[in-house]
Amino acid sequence: MNVDKTLVASIALHVLVIGWGLLTFSSKAFIAPEESLPIDIISSDQLAQITNGQKTGKKEEPKPKVEKIAEAKPEEDAVGKVTEKKELIKTNSTPDTPPPKPVEKPVEKKPEPPKPVAEAKPKEEPKPQEKKPDPAKEDPIAELQKKLDTKKPPPKPVEQKVAAVQPQPKPKERTFDPAQIARDLDKRAATRHELTGSTLNASASLGSTSGTAANNVATWQGAFQGAVKRCFTPTYNGQDANQYEADIDIPMRIDGSLASEPVIVAVRGPSRSIAQAVAESAKRAIVQCQVYSFLPKQQYDSWKVIPMTFGLKDML
Amino acid sequence: MNRRRFMTLTGSTLAMLGGGHALAQGQPRLRIDPTEFRPIPIAITNFVPGSPADGDVSNGVTQVITNNLKRSGLFAPIDQAAFIERINSIDVAPQFQNWKTLNAQALVTGRMTRQPDGRLKAEFRLWDVITGQQLAGQQYFTSPEYWRRIAHIISDQIYEQMTGEKGYFDSRVVFVDESGPKERRVKRLAMMDQDGANVRYLTRGADLVLTPRFSPNSQEITYMEFGQGDPKVYLFNIETGQREIVGNFPGMTFAPRFSPDGQRVIMSLQQGGNSNLFVMDLRSRSTTRLTDTPAIDTSPSYSPDGTRICFESDRGGRSQIYVMAAGGGQAQRISFSKDDNNATYSTPVWSPRGDYIAFTRQGGGQFSIGVMKPDGSGERLLTSGFHNEGPTFSPNGRVVMFFRDPGGNSGPSLFSVDISGRFEQKVPTPGFASDPAWSPLLSATAGQ
Repeated sequence: MNVDKTLVASIALHVLVIGWGLLTFSSKAFIAPEESLPIDIISSDQLAQITNGQKTGKKEEPKPKVEKIAEAKPEEDAVGKVTEKKELIKTNSTPDTPPPKPVEKPVEKKPEPPKPVAEAKPKEEPKPQEKKPDPAKEDPIAELQKKLDTKKPPPKPVEQKVAAVQPQPKPKERTFDPAQIARDLDKRAATRHELTGSTLNASASLGSTSGTAANNVATWQGAFQGAVKRCFTPTYNGQDANQYEADIDIPMRIDGSLASEPVIVAVRGPSRSIAQAVAESAKRAIVQCQVYSFLPKQQYDSWKVIPMTFGLKDML
Repeated sequence: MNRRRFMTLTGSTLAMLGGGHALAQGQPRLRIDPTEFRPIPIAITNFVPGSPADGDVSNGVTQVITNNLKRSGLFAPIDQAAFIERINSIDVAPQFQNWKTLNAQALVTGRMTRQPDGRLKAEFRLWDVITGQQLAGQQYFTSPEYWRRIAHIISDQIYEQMTGEKGYFDSRVVFVDESGPKERRVKRLAMMDQDGANVRYLTRGADLVLTPRFSPNSQEITYMEFGQGDPKVYLFNIETGQREIVGNFPGMTFAPRFSPDGQRVIMSLQQGGNSNLFVMDLRSRSTTRLTDTPAIDTSPSYSPDGTRICFESDRGGRSQIYVMAAGGGQAQRISFSKDDNNATYSTPVWSPRGDYIAFTRQGGGQFSIGVMKPDGSGERLLTSGFHNEGPTFSPNGRVVMFFRDPGGNSGPSLFSVDISGRFEQKVPTPGFASDPAWSPLLSATAGQ
């Protein structure tokens, strides 16, 4: 049979071209648009409400409050106002004159004559004087103190002073004058030193700072945890519950259903049978709460097998 | 695909197929820690009667199982009025979708059939509603009058299958039944099932009885009785009704308790103003002194392995709990109140699991029942009130029973609370009741 060579060449060429085209121009598989997680639209007030701290909430950061990096020093009153002011010192001088050396005066006062007036004063006198220096206002106690200073009696042994002071009735001099309550009050602000430590930690308020918004980050992991947790009803609530854990791997299909039964990888706890019961309970929860259709299909590779650990450490 | 890649993939596939091996290698594990305890929703269907005459006992068994599981606090039986499917035969698998709709995680079906020989045949199946698998299936034969005990045994099976722990429903409680006006109160030794049923009186109330305790095989009870002379410790045989005095001591003996092997009884012996601990071998009748202090040592209780004893003593000035070797020797104080230096601790009892010691704590004007670890750590008060006293552990160590006296002209009642302190409830008794003591699991001691 006589075959036209050009026809054969043409057919062969066409086959080659069409074949090359089929291989080269084949369309890529259709990728579904990224599926979004279901959300609820809330107002700014609602957001503020759920992100508010809770006074009764569980502290998420048990570290003590630290305001300044320095050597750790215990502080009894962590509520008072921080101040850098020096301690108040007692003085009888007017505001123009420099304050006398601290400590000196109280030390000198102690061995002074056992007059009840002199003993009663040091407690009341310095506070209003230092805080509210008003030279125009006549302070009777300051006046009395001045008189005592001018007398300068010779110091006596401490033993004598103590012996003499004890029988003296102090309340006699501490007469209460309702009109002078303001003068007697300690007008200094409550003070304390800064709380020191190696790292700053300003969270020392009551409760938790994150409030009821446990996790506002929309990750598929968080959604999956929440979904399984709803169905997880472990039966053990003994005092050693925190020692029980079960590791379970969950094979998933792309539609969010289970590809096969969850696999118990490991169980831990003082009692093997209880730990196994915890694992079985976790398995039931995983199966019961499927299908997890909210899992993002475009990230299927990352949740093809979901490894989980079920624990009871918060059951107490 | 080259040969090496093929081998790698095959290996991975085999690893995935193999059960118990991690499928997710190297991935970080998501973690779930539930913060609140929720009981397991369980559907308990009426047991199918083998004949119309078995209807009452079938319903009775269902009711006892439901009450047991509900009172444990670990299960939430679903109201039968909500059931979609009616179980007519336990030989056919249930339609699990009908039970999933109710959020049931487990399903109990059963049948009670009177046999030609007069015995009762009890069958039950426990289903996992989620996976559709049968978790347990048993049948028992018994005399018709023991149908309640069969219900308790089935309850224990369900409890163990779902929690991984032994149950405690097939057990008894011995206690002091109190009746009559407060100034002339009659106290009788009584025994009942743990749920308050089948009350049986062991003494007539002529003499005052206190602190009854079961022997490990539940066949004997040791207790203290005020007879004609000094109060004495007695042994009472439940089957024969016979009783005998334990030891022949010159003074008052009290607070007896069996050793875990049942061969010895440990108790207090009063000597002048003091009391010390003694142990008597029940076979040789020989006694051994364990403590010798100018103090009141009492309420001894063995650890489950029998190697140690906890007891209360005021040797330090106030009543506190001490632990020492079973043969005596140096005692170590384990009770230390963190918030009340004047608090006292008494009536210690060692858990059958060995993990805790239950006690009565008096402080702050209240009597509390609590548990602590044998080294004194982990103290936890389970309940507090005007007067709570005398704790006793359930056979599995998960529940503590005690008595509570509200004061006034009223009288004491029995209560139970689980060791988490969450589930407290009253134990029904015919009248006033005090000094409870829980027996071991009867099915576990049947062969002893």
